[in-house]
Amino acid sequence: MTSRSCAEAVVAPSGSCATMVREWYPRLFRDDPPRAAAAAVLGRRTYELSEFLVRVLGRTDLGARFDAAVAYHPSCHGLRGLGLRDEPLSLLRAVRGLRLVDLPRAEECCGFGGFFAVTFAPVSGAMLASKLDAVEASGADVVTATDASCLMHLAGGLARRGSRVRAVHLAEILAAS
Amino acid sequence: MSREAVLGRVRAALRSAAAVAQPVPAGAAAAVPALPALPDHQVVADPVTLFVERARAVATTVEICATVDDAAVQAAAWLAARGARRVVAWDDPDVATVAVRLAAGGIEVTPPGVASDIVAQADAGLTGAAWGIAESASLVLPADPQRPRLFSLLPPLHVAVLRAGRILPDLPALFEHLQATHPSGLPPAALPSALAFVSGPSRSADIGLVPVQGAHGPMEVAVLVVTR
Amino acid sequence: MSTEPAIPVRPLAGARPGDMRARLAQALADPMLQTALGRAIPGFRRMRASAVAEVPEWEVLRRLAAHIKDHTLAVLDRYLEQFEAAVRARGGVVHWAADAAEAQRTIIDLLRALGVHQVVKSKSMVTEEIGLNAALEAAGVRVVETDLGEYVLQLAGEAPSHLIAPMIHKPIEAVSELFAVALGAPRYERAEDLNRVARAALRREFLAADAGITGVNFAVAETGTLVIVENEGNARLVTSCPRVHVAVLGIEKLLPRLADLGVFLRLLARSATGQRASVYVSLLTGPRRSGEADGPDELHVVLVDNGRTRLLADPDLREALRCIRCSACLNVCPVFERAGGHAYGSVYAGPIGAVLTPALWGLRPARELPFASTLCGACGEVCPVSIDLPRLLLELRARVVREGLVGRPDRLFARLWTLVMRSPTRLTLFGALGRALQRLAVSEGRIDRLRGPLAGWTAHRAAPPLAAVPFRVRWRARGGRPGRGRP
Repeated sequence: MTSRSCAEAVVAPSGSCATMVREWYPRLFRDDPPRAAAAAVLGRRTYELSEFLVRVLGRTDLGARFDAAVAYHPSCHGLRGLGLRDEPLSLLRAVRGLRLVDLPRAEECCGFGGFFAVTFAPVSGAMLASKLDAVEASGADVVTATDASCLMHLAGGLARRGSRVRAVHLAEILAAS
Repeated sequence: MSREAVLGRVRAALRSAAAVAQPVPAGAAAAVPALPALPDHQVVADPVTLFVERARAVATTVEICATVDDAAVQAAAWLAARGARRVVAWDDPDVATVAVRLAAGGIEVTPPGVASDIVAQADAGLTGAAWGIAESASLVLPADPQRPRLFSLLPPLHVAVLRAGRILPDLPALFEHLQATHPSGLPPAALPSALAFVSGPSRSADIGLVPVQGAHGPMEVAVLVVTR
Repeated sequence: MSTEPAIPVRPLAGARPGDMRARLAQALADPMLQTALGRAIPGFRRMRASAVAEVPEWEVLRRLAAHIKDHTLAVLDRYLEQFEAAVRARGGVVHWAADAAEAQRTIIDLLRALGVHQVVKSKSMVTEEIGLNAALEAAGVRVVETDLGEYVLQLAGEAPSHLIAPMIHKPIEAVSELFAVALGAPRYERAEDLNRVARAALRREFLAADAGITGVNFAVAETGTLVIVENEGNARLVTSCPRVHVAVLGIEKLLPRLADLGVFLRLLARSATGQRASVYVSLLTGPRRSGEADGPDELHVVLVDNGRTRLLADPDLREALRCIRCSACLNVCPVFERAGGHAYGSVYAGPIGAVLTPALWGLRPARELPFASTLCGACGEVCPVSIDLPRLLLELRARVVREGLVGRPDRLFARLWTLVMRSPTRLTLFGALGRALQRLAVSEGRIDRLRGPLAGWTAHRAAPPLAAVPFRVRWRARGGRPGRGRP
């Protein structure tokens, strides 16, 4: 969180990282006013990727091409922390060859939750199983999200199941041609 | 004394919280958040129709009757269909005509003042309603010597006579009415010992998650909405 | 904090409050519980969502409710005094209890003085909190729970597992068996028939009881009115048949004005069960008036603190006292959906339980609870009184750490993490070390078995290996520019 940085924007491929910087840094430094102020400044310039593309740059079509049936999992911190509902979807809809499929019970947490995945592994595993059942039921070839952490968790579960479904970050889809 | 102990703790808690909380910037509002004003009641073009619609959604039987006499005829029909012979009835102007008619037709009608186990043996309870609430299809039933609580609770069938003009759009409208008579605040004396809002037959889904009607209260509620 | 008060724990086959993980494992391994939760919870969610969608001003109501509660809590002593005066003006008696023990003694003493031997009771979280039933039984008072689910559980000697659907874990066959044995009833198979058995048995109890004990959903300071919300009708019977009514409530239940019910009642039913209104809402003001045929001769109101003033004193956590016990947060929580109520080891379960339990009764025994969450935020989103549950859980986690209640492995890990992450050199070294070591564990591009503290990960999923070439090396190699000059 350096004040030397003169970047206009800090863009993160992660809703939880963006939420952390924007919402929680100022609170972490609430007893340290100078740092809290710097945190607030940084927070105002910090965005999640889809949020930045759609809300700041006003772009939904990046000329991408990705031929697959794709299910979108709305990562919790992006969804409830940043209010990301339409942004990732409008980006995905503009991708040529991409067929967006409906994901049942999409807004339910995948079960990662940071250390929760290890400390409360059985519950995390049960939540993962429900999410992957939904992904497989959706007929998707690919499951995507804005958070690498969710995707790491989903990919791990898919590999364990021997599933042919791949977990791909939104950025990789938007960069594809 | 316990009263002083608890109140003392409450006051101490409020003082210490105020001391710890973030300092309030100069010029900001007082530390105690204001008590907000309440929104007005909703505007409903046709409360009677809404009431009927919402009543059916919670399995309340509703019949719109032009007059109290028509209501009496309908009530008699309902009772006959259920083989009901004994009714406990409120001593209430809206209910009186119906009660007299039923008695004339051979139904045993018992007024207020009997013991609870007699009430429990009745086939139906006949009441009026001070108000109706359209949004939730609720009957507003005050208790007093002429209007026992148990008449709408113990018998398996509850029949209520409700004047259409007494149907309000929502709960806020009810409270606005109550407060209209006491603009500077409702005193405890303004309320009956019991005021019940009844919205359909008694329900439970506790056993096996299977919904049943008549858990403890009536299995059926039937409302006669009288328009004149 | 010198002496930690014990959490009032219901009998859970010897489990201690700190064993949440053990109880979670037990819950996950219980197929009947999982089936029951899997059937009930999605239904509650759906019904709540459609009931809420019908109210366009829902968000406004939520904020309003939060403000009304915050105002009330900020001057709670004033409203408590106003409430007491109003109840007394109508001939009711008000008792004050600082803690569970005092509440028990107060209620037992007043029942004895009134010659009460048989009590009918309707569902009340606060009476469970204070362990009232056991205390009454020990004092020779017979207590009958009258909510259908609670009645069945009482016959079976079990604890409820959900705020609104206490018998969620018990199938119909078990109830049939229970009624056959305990009540001599035929072995009915249908819920309707079992219901009729219970209805008849409980009618006798209502009419024979000397006193009725209930909780309260709201208490109006302006008029001294007690508000009880229910669907079955048993609370109305408990408060209309016996000659004595004892209402027990936490001091946070107060609302300033009768008209505030216009906001809170609309929020409560929709949030709890997706109904527009619960079947019965009783507004009780004083005992029966002279000439009335039913209703109690005596009304006793017991105001209970039991840790609430501790929460009141805490500016960071106080908003948890806004809770109206609707259970929306339980129903929407993916952890609760799989854990059920018993896993929390406390009267209060789910997200609100994970906050109230440590906040009211001490961090140490409840130290696992705030961590049993992914902080997905679903709870905060549905709370009708806008409690920011995720923030409160995080705050409690910070306190658990600050009070040194975290286990040694976690502390060590955190220290190691901080050490490595604060220095680019150390991160590079650590990465190189990791890449070297993982060669032993990686096969087919993934790690299937991690040992030690991270073993929980690979219990349910593969782990990705560290990248062969870290991103920052690749970035630098490209001169810090994007790869293909895309717009």
